[in-house]
Amino acid sequence: MASGEATGLRLVAVDARARALGLRPGEPLARVRARLSTPLAVHPADPEADAAALERLCLWAKRYGPGVAAFGAAEGRDGLFLDSTGSSHLFGGEAGLVADLARRLAANGLPARIAVAGSPGCAFALARHGAGGVVAPGGEAKALSGLPVIALRIPQEMAADLGRLGLRRIGDLAEAPRAPLARRFGEILIRRLDQALGHRPDPLVALDELPAFGAARGFLDPIGHQAAIVATAKRLLAEIAPRLEAAGLGARVLHLTLHRVDGVIRTLSLGLSEPTRCPVQVGRLLDLRLDRLGPALDAGFGFETVRLDIVRTGPTAHLQGELAGGDRAGAGASGLADALRQRLGRGLLRLTPHQSHVPERAETAEPWRVNDVALRRPARITGRPRPLVLLTRGETAEDMLAPDGPPQLFRWRRRLHRITHADGPERIAGEWWSGPAPTRDYYVVEDEAGRRLWVYRQVQPPADPPSPEPAARVAPVVGWFVHGMFA
Amino acid sequence: MTQRPLASLSPTDAMPRATEAPAARLSALRARLVTQASEIAPRKHLSFGVHAIDACLPGGGLGLGHLHEIAPEAEGDEPAALGFALALVARRLAEVPGEALLVLAKGHPMPYGHGLAGLGLDPDRLLLFEADSDLDAYRALEEALRTGAGPSSGGLAAVAGLVDAGLPLIQSRRLHLAGGRTDRLLLVLRPVGADSPNVAATRWRIATGKALRDRFGCIERPCWRVRLDRCRNGRMGDWLLEWDHAAHRFGLAGALAGHPPEAGSRGVRTEP
Repeated sequence: MASGEATGLRLVAVDARARALGLRPGEPLARVRARLSTPLAVHPADPEADAAALERLCLWAKRYGPGVAAFGAAEGRDGLFLDSTGSSHLFGGEAGLVADLARRLAANGLPARIAVAGSPGCAFALARHGAGGVVAPGGEAKALSGLPVIALRIPQEMAADLGRLGLRRIGDLAEAPRAPLARRFGEILIRRLDQALGHRPDPLVALDELPAFGAARGFLDPIGHQAAIVATAKRLLAEIAPRLEAAGLGARVLHLTLHRVDGVIRTLSLGLSEPTRCPVQVGRLLDLRLDRLGPALDAGFGFETVRLDIVRTGPTAHLQGELAGGDRAGAGASGLADALRQRLGRGLLRLTPHQSHVPERAETAEPWRVNDVALRRPARITGRPRPLVLLTRGETAEDMLAPDGPPQLFRWRRRLHRITHADGPERIAGEWWSGPAPTRDYYVVEDEAGRRLWVYRQVQPPADPPSPEPAARVAPVVGWFVHGMFA
Repeated sequence: MTQRPLASLSPTDAMPRATEAPAARLSALRARLVTQASEIAPRKHLSFGVHAIDACLPGGGLGLGHLHEIAPEAEGDEPAALGFALALVARRLAEVPGEALLVLAKGHPMPYGHGLAGLGLDPDRLLLFEADSDLDAYRALEEALRTGAGPSSGGLAAVAGLVDAGLPLIQSRRLHLAGGRTDRLLLVLRPVGADSPNVAATRWRIATGKALRDRFGCIERPCWRVRLDRCRNGRMGDWLLEWDHAAHRFGLAGALAGHPPEAGSRGVRTEP
């Protein structure tokens, strides 16, 4: 690989065979051609393609952990940092992670030298100028002492100057007095040394996964009115909308950050059931939210900066926009769900059936979601009557008079029910595989006023002979209970 | 408030010239009143399918977009009132596509989906909202009426609310105004003994009745004593109604059995 400079073409990168011929990066191409009689395959360097390939590699490396950062200008843009904190155990420790990474890279034809250390600077030095490997915690100084000073991510000229002073190894540098070094070479040398030794933090700029959508607007005259905030948010979303549309995305979660004049920052989070790009819809939801907040927003002397970030996006279907300004957005149940969540702080619910014969387990109310694929409800599988309102637990029916099967008279909720008619029994066996499960006999009863109730008699389950721990089993309550009301 | 179409008329149409005869001017003003009234009046009605009831109601059914109040007749009739309201919702859902919203104020038990299926209401088409208080419940109802309130927008077909206290005047007016622009069925179910003056178009009182039996003597269909207590521009009445969940149809239970119902004595005598 070669790239053009003012003084002619120079080598940028060489492969293993070229290195065997004695070629090094930085050598002028003309001199190489003059020196060697071997025909050379020279390609022009393409830094953009290199950067794109490195980014793809970084995205792939996120499989090992969320914190991945590409080498920057100081490191030569030819590698990546991987923060394995908290994720190395998933691959059998650091050694296992290194082995796995090396194997996968080699399988893709990427020769790599991998080092693991307590600081990114130390790992870089070992990987680029040492032999790689895993450094035990606290062993950084020892591991670095034999390496050349260039491994500290300092400019080439500085390394040459240090070499003229006799400081060729990092070990020499660490023992040298710091004050004269700092005066002579600037703060960067000391900082790099400390970072490599782990004495100073070296934050990695982690790669962001999603393209961030956001816009901000500052105001010379701070705003505080609800209408002004909503109008600003609408305008900001209208700014972002073309970018979202180009990416085929819509906003699912938005953060509106309000910077108050005195430095207080308020963040409002808006969630949407369906991805949207419609400023009118978002503006309406924000209006409802601010309605609910009321004075709790506390604008004080006003907000000087308003920032709208789209935190989560979702793919949107391409809809024909309407001339009137997207009136269709926010119609139907999803619009209602969003509006209620913003205004009252709760979402919609939906009754979700479950596969169970026990009435109270056969259904729960779950949060409503768009395109909820409801379980196929066993619609009247048995044709058995079920009450309109099911009590969460059976309420005791007192003074039960049931001489031969169906109940005839009982007291429930301080009212005497004289039963004139009873359908039943319908026996529902308990789910014995999930704990103690008494069997129930259900009756539909009608009293003389015409109130229809669902009552059951709980009977003792047949005693299974070798009960492992009888004390642990809850004794089932035997008796009569009211469990529901019919319309 | 949306702009009325009237505003688009030219000034000469809206304001007749003074040179015209007073009669012509009067008729023009009347026409203007009629346009305004018909705009607010709902376009459609939900009929009961029972002639005796529909004849009492203005327009031959429950006005869609109007507020209807349902109350149990006595303590213990709450399930019957809920069943009647949900039967009306089921009848509306059988007519049009879309979903129904049921807003429950705090403390109201949730309806049981398997039981709803037995009432002829598909639980998958029912959305529920649990409000913290009555005020929140009214807010949610109002929001539901305002959301997507276009003439052709799909979504909600019926909105029903269960509240803890009575239906106050202010809330009923707000609901009436919000509902006036939609063609959604709007019901508010309130507990017994919380009467308060309001602007509801109708008020129903529901009591349980003896269920209809099939030929084996088992309970077949629910039956309610339905009293139309108040009806704007209509007449009051009292009926014994049964509900056929499969056909989504009401029927007069007494007429079917061939003898006057228990409530018949009051049902025949209709107050003018």
